[in-house]
Amino acid sequence: YRHLHTFELQAPTRLIEWARGSRVCVAGYGQSDGNEILQLIPPPTLLTKETQGLCPERDFKVECGGFSERPVYSLKYVPDTSLLVTSGPPDSSLQVWQVSAEDSDVIKSVSPIATENGTGQSWAKIATISARAPWVLHGSRLDGVQITEVESRKNIYTAASGGSEELSSLAFLDCNTLLLCCATGRLCLADIRQPQSLVEAVSVPSAPCSEQWCMGTRHGAQGLEPSSQPVARLSSRGLLTLTDLRKTSEFLALATVRVPSPGSGAEFLCISWAPALEGCLAISGFDGTVHVYDTQSWDSSGREAEPVFVHKGHAFGGAGGSGDPPLVTVHTWHLQKPRTLLSAASDGSLHVWDWVQPCGKC
Amino acid sequence: MPEIKVTPLGAGQDVGRSCILVSIAGKNVMLDCGMHMGYNDDRRFPDFSYITQNGRLTDFLDCVIISHFHLDHCGALPYFSEMVGYDGPIYMTHPTKAICPILLEDYRKITVDKKGETNFFTSQMIKDCMKKVVAVHLHQTVQVDEELEIKAYYAGHVLGAAMFQIKVGCESVVYTGDYNMTPDRHLGAAWIDKCRPDLLISESTYATTIRDSKRCRERDFLKKVHETVERGGKVLIPVFALGRAQELCILLETFWERMNLKAPIYFSTGLTEKANHYYKLFITWTNQKIRKTFVQRNMFEFKHIKAFDRAFADNPGPMVVFATPGMLHAGQSLQIFRKWAGNEKNMVIMPGYCVQGTVGHKILSGQRKLEMEGRQILEVKMQVEYMSFSAHADAKGIMQLIRQAEPRNVLLVHGEAKKMEFLKQKIEQEFHVSCFMPANGETTTILTNPCIPVDISLGLLKRETAIGPLPDAKKPKLMHGTLLMKDNSFRLVSPEQALKELGLAEHQLRFTCRVHIQDPRKEHETVLRVYNHLKGILKDYSVQHLPDGSITVESILIQATAHSEDQGTKVLLVSWTYQDEELGSYLTSLLKKGLPQST
Repeated sequence: YRHLHTFELQAPTRLIEWARGSRVCVAGYGQSDGNEILQLIPPPTLLTKETQGLCPERDFKVECGGFSERPVYSLKYVPDTSLLVTSGPPDSSLQVWQVSAEDSDVIKSVSPIATENGTGQSWAKIATISARAPWVLHGSRLDGVQITEVESRKNIYTAASGGSEELSSLAFLDCNTLLLCCATGRLCLADIRQPQSLVEAVSVPSAPCSEQWCMGTRHGAQGLEPSSQPVARLSSRGLLTLTDLRKTSEFLALATVRVPSPGSGAEFLCISWAPALEGCLAISGFDGTVHVYDTQSWDSSGREAEPVFVHKGHAFGGAGGSGDPPLVTVHTWHLQKPRTLLSAASDGSLHVWDWVQPCGKC
Repeated sequence: MPEIKVTPLGAGQDVGRSCILVSIAGKNVMLDCGMHMGYNDDRRFPDFSYITQNGRLTDFLDCVIISHFHLDHCGALPYFSEMVGYDGPIYMTHPTKAICPILLEDYRKITVDKKGETNFFTSQMIKDCMKKVVAVHLHQTVQVDEELEIKAYYAGHVLGAAMFQIKVGCESVVYTGDYNMTPDRHLGAAWIDKCRPDLLISESTYATTIRDSKRCRERDFLKKVHETVERGGKVLIPVFALGRAQELCILLETFWERMNLKAPIYFSTGLTEKANHYYKLFITWTNQKIRKTFVQRNMFEFKHIKAFDRAFADNPGPMVVFATPGMLHAGQSLQIFRKWAGNEKNMVIMPGYCVQGTVGHKILSGQRKLEMEGRQILEVKMQVEYMSFSAHADAKGIMQLIRQAEPRNVLLVHGEAKKMEFLKQKIEQEFHVSCFMPANGETTTILTNPCIPVDISLGLLKRETAIGPLPDAKKPKLMHGTLLMKDNSFRLVSPEQALKELGLAEHQLRFTCRVHIQDPRKEHETVLRVYNHLKGILKDYSVQHLPDGSITVESILIQATAHSEDQGTKVLLVSWTYQDEELGSYLTSLLKKGLPQST
C-alpha cells in the first residue's frame, strides 16, 4: 500500500457515490427504519493531488444527512440539480431528496416517484443524466424500464419489453443510449429514439447452476466515445466477460477469477473500471476483499486471471471472531487519483486505500 | 412549572472557555471555568457579568464544578475566584486537584513573564484558589448542602476527567465535560449508569466527524518517526504536558521494544516528569490493562525513555525528544526547535491544536521563515508534521452515552449550530427527547415533570384497589383521595379521614330545580304521568312512586305542586345532591322537554 485509511461508519453502507465538490455519499440499508443518508466531505488527504502522510485533517466530516424510512439500496445524484434519488425495498418506487448544504445540514425528503405495478416487485436500479433535462432511468425488471423526468415526474420513455428477468444494473451510455444488464447476464442496448427495439449484446456462457451477473461501464475518460469502452460483466461464480459494444457478436475477452465459494450470494457483487487507469478494473462482493485486475493482457480463452492487487483490510478489521466475517458491500474508484479506491463492508467499515503496482507496470 | 435553566457563558456555540451556569430547583451551579486560548485580552475569560449583576457571586452560586484540568475548562478559575471574587466550594476529582495548579502556574508564567501581561492572576492567587477546592472520588455522592448533591463519573479523555451528576430532590442534570467513549492505551472509556437525568449536557466537538481509525494514525506516526531516525535525524515532539504525552510515550516504548531500536528517546524535565509521577499516583484512574500490568512492571516507568538534559540537544545522531510546552511558544521545546530547525533531516511533529500567534501555529500554516527575538530570522528546513490524537466523543459516542444515561432532554455545547441540525434530529428521532443548542449568553429553559413522593394511607389504598380491575404493574393508576400537606410531608388519605383529622364537618350540597309543565289536571295525576313517562324511559334506573306523592329516580326526588297563579301549570321540583349531579341535570332537561300527550 501507499496509503491506507480506515474509518468506521455508524451503520454499514452498500453504496458509495461521488457528488459535486468531491463529496461522497453513503447510506444505511438496515431493515428497521431510521436509515441515514450521509453526505461526507472527505479529508484533505483525499482531495489534494500531493498526498501527505500526517495531514492536519484526516477525518471525514458529515456535511449533511437525511433519514430514510426504508433501507437505501441505491442512490444517484441528479446532475445539475440539488436533488438525489434513492431506491430500496419493499417496492420499485423511487424516493427523491433535496440537498442544500449551505442552508442546513439536513437532506430533506421530497415526494416520491411511484411506479405502476410497483408493489410486488423488487427494488429499482437507477441511473441519472441531465442532458435535455434531469432524467432518471429506473426499473427492477426488464419489462419495467422507464425514464422519468425528475422535476415534472413525467414519463419520457418506456422500454420495449424483452422479457421479465430481474435487472442487476442499468446505465446511460450517452443521452440517447441505454445499457441494461439482467441478473441472468443478458445485456441489452436500447435507443430511446426507437422505443420499440431492444438490441441484445452477446449473452454469457450458460452455466449448470444458477449464477447472478452484474456489469460495469466506464465513464470519465475525456473525449472518448462511450460506446468504445468495453462493458465488463461479472458472475457470482467468478466469470468475467468484456464486450465491445460496437461488435456485440463476440466477446472481447473472457477470464475467470478465483472466488472463495462459488455461488455464495450475489447481493453485493460489484465491478467497476478505473477512470484514470487504462484497462484496470476492480471487483468485490465475494468476501472481505477487493481485487484489482489489469485486463490489457486478457484474451477470449477464459483462463484464470491473476489480480494485480488484493485489498484484504476488511477481513481483518473489527472485533475478531464475532459472527460472520465482513463482506465487502461496494467499492468505487477515486475520480482523479489513479490508484485510490474506497470500499465499504458489512461491518460498517469504510476504507480508503492507494495501492502500489508491485512490478512497476500499469 | 418546575424548570431547569441553562446558560452557557462560554462554549455555547464555539470551542474554548467552557463555562455553563445551571439553575435547578433554586440552586445555582457553575460548570467549568475555562479560558479561551485564542484571545489575548478579556475575551479569553467567560462573561461573568451575567451572574454578577445579581449581587455577590458567593451568595448567588451554591458551588462550582470543574470537569478536568485542560485550560479551556479551568484556566479562568483563579481569575474568577480571586479577582472577580468567589469564596464558595469548588469541586473536582483528586487528580484534577493535583494537576490543575501546575498547569495554571505554567500558563501564568508564560503569559506574565514571557508576554509581560499585567491583568492576570498571580501565583498566590492560584494557591488561594486551590484552598477552596474540595476533592471528590468517583461514584461518591457529595452533599453540597441539605438539598444539593453531586456525583462524579469516569469520563476518559484525560487523567482525572469526570462527568458530574447534579441532583436536587428528584430533578437532576448530568454534565459531561469532555469525554471519550472508546478506551485508549492509558485511559478507559467513559461510563455512566441509567440515572435518567432530566437533562444531559454533552459536548459535541466531534459530532460531525467520522474519525480515521487510531491504528492508521498511530501507524503513520510511527512510520514517520522511524524514517527520520533511520536517516540519522532528530524528532521533536512538543507536548501539552499531560494527556497525550503519556499515550505517545507508551506507543513509542512499545514500538521501540518490538523493533529493537537503539536511538534514545527523551522527555524533558519539568512538567512531563511530574506528569508521569501523577499517573503513577493515580493509577486507579488509568485503564484496566495498565492496572493489570502494573503489578509486573510499571507502565509509566519506561525502559527506552530517559530524562532529558539541555546539553543532549547538541549530541550528534538520531534521537526523539518530548518537550514542553506544546505550541512551541516558549520554554524548552522552542529552544530545541531553534537548534534543530535548520537541518532538513530533522522533524517536528505537532500533536495538538496550536493557538494563533504561536510558533507552532505559524509553522503548521506553512511559514518557513520565522522572526525570533532580536529581529533574528530562523529558517525552518526541518520537516513539519501534524498529528491529532485528542480523544473526544463522535456522533456514535454521543448516542451511546445518551443510551446509557437515558436523559429526558439533551443540550449540546461546543459545536457549531448550523452543522448540528442533523444531529439534533437524529437524537430527537432515536430517543424521543428534546435537543437544545444554545449560544453564549442564551438561556435555555427546560421544563421538568418532577415526581413528588406522597404517603398513602392503608385504608385508602385498600379501598382504591378494590374498585375496578387489578392494575397493570407498569401503568400509572388514577386514584382519588385528599392530599394533606403538613410540616413538609405529603399524605394521601380518604376524604372522611381528612375531615376527621382536620376537625371539619362535611357539607352536603343539594340542588333543586323547578320545571314548569302545562297540565290542567290535578297534581297527583301529573305525578302519575311523570312517573309513567320516566319509568318508560329510564329502564336501567330505579324509578319509584312513593305513597306521599313524590317520585324518586335513584336518590333524586321529584315532587309536583300547582303553580300559585296559574292552575293549568304544574311546577315540578327536582332535587338532587352534588353526587348525583349528572343524573339530576339529565332528568331536568328531559322533563323540560315536556310530557308525551298520551298517558
